[in-house]
Amino acid sequence: MTRTRTPGISRRSSLALMGAGAISVAAPWVARAQAKTIKIGMPTILSGRVAQLGTSSRNAVMLEVDKVNAAGGLAGRQIEMVIRDSKGQPQEAARVARELVNTDGCEWLIDGEASSGSFAVHEVARDLGVLCVHTCSEASSLTADPKQHIPNAFRCVRQGIHDSIVGGSYAAAIAKTKGLKKWATCSPDYAYGRDTTGEFTLYLKRFAPDVELISESWPKLFQPDYTEVVTKILQAKPQALYSCLWGGDLTSYIDQANIYAMFGQMEVFAVNMADYTALTVVKNLPKGIHSGNRYIKTFPATPENAAWGDAYKAKYNEYPTNWSWQNATAVMFLAEAAKKANSTDGKKIAEVLAGLTIKCPFGADGTVTMRGDDHTLVGYAIGWGTTIPQEPYVPEVKAGDWKTIFELEAEWKKSKGYT
Amino acid sequence: MTELEAGRTRTLVPVRGDAGLQRYRDVLIALVAFAVLASLPLFTGSKALLDLVIRCSAYGLFATSLNLLVGYTGLTSFGHGMFFGLGAYSFGLIMQKLGVPIPVAFVATLAITAVVAAIIGAICVRLKEIYFAFVTLAFQMLIHSTILSWASFTGGDQGLRGGIARPRFLGIDLSNHVHLYIASCALLILGLLAMRQIAQSPFGYTLRMIRDNAARASFLGIDVWRAKLTVFVLAALFASMGGMVMALFVSGAYPEFAYWTISGEGIFINMLGGVSTFLGPMVGTVLLLLLNDTVTRFTEYHGIVLGVVILFFALGLRKGLLDFVAEWFAHRRDAGEGR
Repeated sequence: MTRTRTPGISRRSSLALMGAGAISVAAPWVARAQAKTIKIGMPTILSGRVAQLGTSSRNAVMLEVDKVNAAGGLAGRQIEMVIRDSKGQPQEAARVARELVNTDGCEWLIDGEASSGSFAVHEVARDLGVLCVHTCSEASSLTADPKQHIPNAFRCVRQGIHDSIVGGSYAAAIAKTKGLKKWATCSPDYAYGRDTTGEFTLYLKRFAPDVELISESWPKLFQPDYTEVVTKILQAKPQALYSCLWGGDLTSYIDQANIYAMFGQMEVFAVNMADYTALTVVKNLPKGIHSGNRYIKTFPATPENAAWGDAYKAKYNEYPTNWSWQNATAVMFLAEAAKKANSTDGKKIAEVLAGLTIKCPFGADGTVTMRGDDHTLVGYAIGWGTTIPQEPYVPEVKAGDWKTIFELEAEWKKSKGYT
Repeated sequence: MTELEAGRTRTLVPVRGDAGLQRYRDVLIALVAFAVLASLPLFTGSKALLDLVIRCSAYGLFATSLNLLVGYTGLTSFGHGMFFGLGAYSFGLIMQKLGVPIPVAFVATLAITAVVAAIIGAICVRLKEIYFAFVTLAFQMLIHSTILSWASFTGGDQGLRGGIARPRFLGIDLSNHVHLYIASCALLILGLLAMRQIAQSPFGYTLRMIRDNAARASFLGIDVWRAKLTVFVLAALFASMGGMVMALFVSGAYPEFAYWTISGEGIFINMLGGVSTFLGPMVGTVLLLLLNDTVTRFTEYHGIVLGVVILFFALGLRKGLLDFVAEWFAHRRDAGEGR
């Protein structure tokens, strides 16, 4: 008889396959927790286009963890970091975070995820009730939105809204003295780019009401060619340009805009310029670009900050990134909280962390605070300055005023319906 | 009498008898598989194992539904991930904005997916081969871009935030890990059984005929366009189910769910497991997830390892794992009969 169906597999063989699968699945999952060391899990991005986010975060965490361990550990327990790649995919970030807690026996999480991944890890923290410190996501809503609030999650990261308030007031002061009325913007076309640019122009106009926005460009994220954007801006002839392009996008943009001698024709405000990842990569760094501080070892201009930057460079042969200081600060917070609580119990640590102020090389006044009501970092060094083509790249940074930031942030929260 | 007609006359009666028997056998296997999976939490406290099975359910439904298109109908879709994303987003948004019971959101999501798939399918299935592949990819990118741009509704690139509420229904509490696990297993088994029935039905054989020779099917009076559209919509429904399982697992929905890489993973899973057997994609899913989870534990250079595995399957075996096993069994049986 002719067989009319394609050959399938028999029940016996499928059962055998399922059995073999079950055995191979079960083997690696034998959770073992050692009471002496405390494991801290860290999902982050170690591969792909923004792998530097993960590697520089990992470097900073290990730098600080080594110090804590050398000083006796957390309440007498040595720290063991378990750091794993999420590839920047939220579903992987969620899986890795759950695996770190459920299988590897990690008691706390340091979440080195950006954007959507941090929200995925946040849900894992909500679900498992594990202590979690976000260290890379700058999205303001992660902590500002009360719907997101959980008692066991904290954010030790600079915030988009803080940058916009400081940037807006700094730019407005320069706009007034130099008479810059016609402005253009050029930012990446995704939520961060749109939100940050919107907030920056909001505060710019608030402090300098006669400013006029005459051109907007929204290149795609990771766009390789910026010619049309550059020519569009040149044709509009603005007196000043704002951009929140970052990383490789920003450096490509500057290299391409240099060909058109753009930087001589207008004042440029690029909030993400003053980060070594961008400063050291641009071929001919133009003089006089205004930038917010990401990480720069000359701001805050203290010996502690300079020493930290040098120690990092000595160990890893590259300068730290913005992500580095944030991750280092997270470890400092956890260490101080464990000392205060004299415990490594997640709940107790969370209680101590809320409202905790610690000494920190990256603080505006030598300290930073984990604000109690929304569990977010405040009091960190934030400011703007102008670039020069060689080290120290941004010799002088004008510090932002935290009193103004708090006032305007409260207003912004109200307008968003967060309070 | 043509060769085809002769073949059909000769096999008509036995095939019908076989089909009935086979259906019982399939249901039995499904019941046993469900019983085995559902009893797993009794034997192991490993949450990671349960997580793996939940993720296998999501990807397994998605990959097997893709095989309905690729393996059974010969429609290589590069955009099947859009329905995975659509399922996750529709379900998440309905739960967040309307707060309806979970079964209502589930059915509503399937209805939305059916409508969207019918519209997109009506345009795509007229095309063949590479054109079909690329137009489905284009629609996927359209949906992905819409999710990114419509930030006020979808949360943009940060995804649906604030978690998906999981109210109890019929005594089932999906915020409980074990309940979620059993519900995912049930959806997987029901979905696979339904897809198996579709594949083994006369409609399923019509699809195979279209795959092998669409012109001949058309001359026999089959409305090829309608059959292709039907399977396109059906496959979308199961992919959407997979998306819902994933949304429940991560308690959210993210634009990556609708990105082309998800479709790529679906194709890769099919390559790994094989497209000529029904369970091939399921085997591929388990293989890929196990491989991914194991390799990422040890190295961040997982891309190299996965690449080598693809090369091994593409150049070494030249087929999926289950295809290889099935052929080996068939070869052995034939050799046995020949003796």
